[in-house]
Amino acid sequence: MNTLLEAKEVTKIYGRSGHPSLNKVSFRVTEGEFIGIMGASGSGKTTLLNVLSTIDTPTSGSIRINNVNLKSLNHTSAADFRKDNLGFIFQEYFLLDSLTIRENISVPLTLQKLPPQKIESMVRSLAERFGIASQLNKYPHELSGGQRQRASAARAIVKKPSILFADEPTGALDSSSATELLNTLYEANKELHTTILMVTHDAYAASFANRILIFKDGCIIKELMNQGSSRRAFYESIAAEVTKLDTAR
Amino acid sequence: MYTLSIAFKNLRKNFSFYALYILSVSLVITVYFAFTSFSMNNVMLEKISGDGRVESMCRVISVFLIAFVIFYMSYSNRFFLRRRTKELGIYALLGYRKGSILSLLISENVIIGIGSLIIGLVLGAIMHKGIVYGTTILLDLSIDNSQISFFNLSAIANTIVFIFGVIFVMALSNARFLFKTSLMDLVRFEKSAERKMKFRKISAILGFILIIVGYVLALDIFRGADSLWFSVGFYPTGLMTAMSIVIGTVLFIASFLPFAVEKSKQRKKTFYTEIRIVTAPNFIYRIRSNAKTLIMLTLLSAATLTVSSVMALSLFYPIAAVARIAPSELEFRIENERQADDVKLLINQYAPEDLVTFIQTDIFKVSASAERLPIEYSFGTSKGDADNEKILREEGFECISYSQYTALLQAQDRNDIVQKLSELQDDECILVKYQPNSDGSDETGCIYSLNINNNSIPFTVRETTLNNPISFANSIGTIIVSDNVYERIKAGTATKVSILSINGEAIEDNENLFEEMKSLLGNSPYLLGHSHRVNEIMAANSSTFLLIAFLVVLFFIATGSILYFNNISAVSDSKADYEILSKMGYTNRKLKRIIKKQILTFFSIPFLFGLADCIFATIVYKTGLMQNLLGNTITLYFPTMIAVALTASIYFIYYFITVHTCCKTVIKH
Repeated sequence: MNTLLEAKEVTKIYGRSGHPSLNKVSFRVTEGEFIGIMGASGSGKTTLLNVLSTIDTPTSGSIRINNVNLKSLNHTSAADFRKDNLGFIFQEYFLLDSLTIRENISVPLTLQKLPPQKIESMVRSLAERFGIASQLNKYPHELSGGQRQRASAARAIVKKPSILFADEPTGALDSSSATELLNTLYEANKELHTTILMVTHDAYAASFANRILIFKDGCIIKELMNQGSSRRAFYESIAAEVTKLDTAR
Repeated sequence: MYTLSIAFKNLRKNFSFYALYILSVSLVITVYFAFTSFSMNNVMLEKISGDGRVESMCRVISVFLIAFVIFYMSYSNRFFLRRRTKELGIYALLGYRKGSILSLLISENVIIGIGSLIIGLVLGAIMHKGIVYGTTILLDLSIDNSQISFFNLSAIANTIVFIFGVIFVMALSNARFLFKTSLMDLVRFEKSAERKMKFRKISAILGFILIIVGYVLALDIFRGADSLWFSVGFYPTGLMTAMSIVIGTVLFIASFLPFAVEKSKQRKKTFYTEIRIVTAPNFIYRIRSNAKTLIMLTLLSAATLTVSSVMALSLFYPIAAVARIAPSELEFRIENERQADDVKLLINQYAPEDLVTFIQTDIFKVSASAERLPIEYSFGTSKGDADNEKILREEGFECISYSQYTALLQAQDRNDIVQKLSELQDDECILVKYQPNSDGSDETGCIYSLNINNNSIPFTVRETTLNNPISFANSIGTIIVSDNVYERIKAGTATKVSILSINGEAIEDNENLFEEMKSLLGNSPYLLGHSHRVNEIMAANSSTFLLIAFLVVLFFIATGSILYFNNISAVSDSKADYEILSKMGYTNRKLKRIIKKQILTFFSIPFLFGLADCIFATIVYKTGLMQNLLGNTITLYFPTMIAVALTASIYFIYYFITVHTCCKTVIKH
């Protein structure tokens, strides 16, 4: 398998405090992986997501995605890089309120200047897969939280990004909507081979991934792999690890 | 005192947000105070208004002005209250009583009020001085500037009482809002406008049709006597047109525009593009909550543009028409032999002889016959035709020679007209029209038989002209004949009138000279002065113009600021949207284009509608209500064009500032 993302000694220091939010973090992600990033608040998860997704720049260290060194990107080329390579899902959905679901999912494709017929057929087929085909002409506020998050996932996946960043995607969902969404992501990972990097502090959500990186104080302190065991078993090992961390605080 | 310090901190922290608010309120106060000072400036009013006309006009305008200030301040108060509802809700959650929150709001309003008052009073005083200075120069008044104080104390008292009155009323309405809204609603007030847009096809189409009907009705006036404006009546038709356009505008903005944009989404090729897929739905979404504001701004801007254009036209027209009413700098009818010499002596005291041209024209009255003689032939012969019933004329053509005509035009510095003329044949003449015929016909080619020395001789009208060389007071129904024919008429027994036309830069714009000539000629009604006439018109109209200008300026400040606030709030409310677009890969340039496009739409609707309404209203006014001495020359529309250009540039400046602020709020570098 090819390496898709490589982070080397990535450090991020905000202000002049000297206290690093990320402290020499190094790891690799190979194509088709589903990675979970866990850790308490302030452990550096969001900072990591920001520097990986070109929204922020690291103080030192290097990041390569798809063999592109992120340091070499200026503002405009970073935007183009995001357009072609990255997808995002957020806890708060961040759908555009004034656009219908169909229009929301179409936006990344119009940005890639695809012809309208192609856009419509891609949107339709993905909406069917995500179970929101009947909601396409509605506005975000007319949908339930779970439907909105699936629409937002569809918007992220429709352009077939090299890597999908999901930031606490289940944070605002009830448990059945959360399971539905996680299954959707899991299937997208298995069937469409979308590489996913998901930040979460929920052990259940993390159990859908096949590898977990646990952060504390800006460092990776533990790596868990799902080596063919059932999701239930993986969940229990994650939960045990998290409990251990909590008692050690 | 604790709320006061919170209020101060709040204002300081959000300074950039409040800066324009304070600035715009200050400007509104500036205009109000300058106007109040002006209307209380007795020194000035005595000079420009003898009959109390300006005073009564001031009273009317002050009503509008007060209404405008109240409207603007309450609009911005509501706007800022709405934006801060959530913050106020948090204060309430923390345990502040609604009374304390209200006193916080009042303190802020009072601080803003005092700040704006100070700025407004100083700027207003300066503006008032400027206006006095400008008017003094424009009207050539002798005013002792030291008699006019910089601050008129009663104007200050008036302004302060008024502004605090408005703040008091705003406090009452804020209190009503606070005590009526539950805590829950306060905290979640912001996103309450989420209802689905209904597209009403019928009212959309109706709006479109009504606008077209209104404009077609306006254009109908070109049909002249057959049009509804004359067959049904000017005022009923005017009312119908205005109603059709107003109702049409309301429906057009509220229903037709969103409907049309929604329909345009079906054109997939244009819709599925990176900019339009965001801007088109956004427009529909914004119209939903902002239709009322937009309609109000559109109607206001149409009214202001129309008023300023019509005002400009009605001030400019008489001045432009002086070129026909008094074509020479000075002109009079020689009623006895000595007059000409006396006048020449008098003028020599003012300017050396070689800088002034004196042209004496002998006009011969000739009767004529034809199937249909032009209206000028018998114009001014019966009472009711002329303004001055003492100077009724006898009917007939008044003949001057071709060489006199060209000499007069040259003396009047109208060489461009002379160059287009060619020598007249003996059977040709040029007819000077009083104004173009209302049915659009023209006498060119008509044959009139002139009675010359008891012989009836046919003449063909080679052309008609509006370039009369002699004033209408001294000659109407003027025709220009060849020099040969003129000599023949001269040899006969036709009645003669002699006119002396005096021209030259050296005697221009000299009121003293005019007064002396007037007494020399015994107040003759046949004495006319070009500059004198212009000055008269300026003195009569400029105060009206000035007062209307107060209203127009105030309007621009208000419209521009409302558009500014409205756009800023729309853009900053959707800050998250721009963030997500940026994460999806929209570059800052593309985001800027989206912002620009959205703001442009909101600015252009009131402007374009205002422009269209103004153009049609001006056409109706010009065609239906104004004399047509000048024909349809483009120069007549210069003031309208200037009014439109000024409006456009003010809109553009506001647009530019708005775009700049919006981009700064949303785009991170």
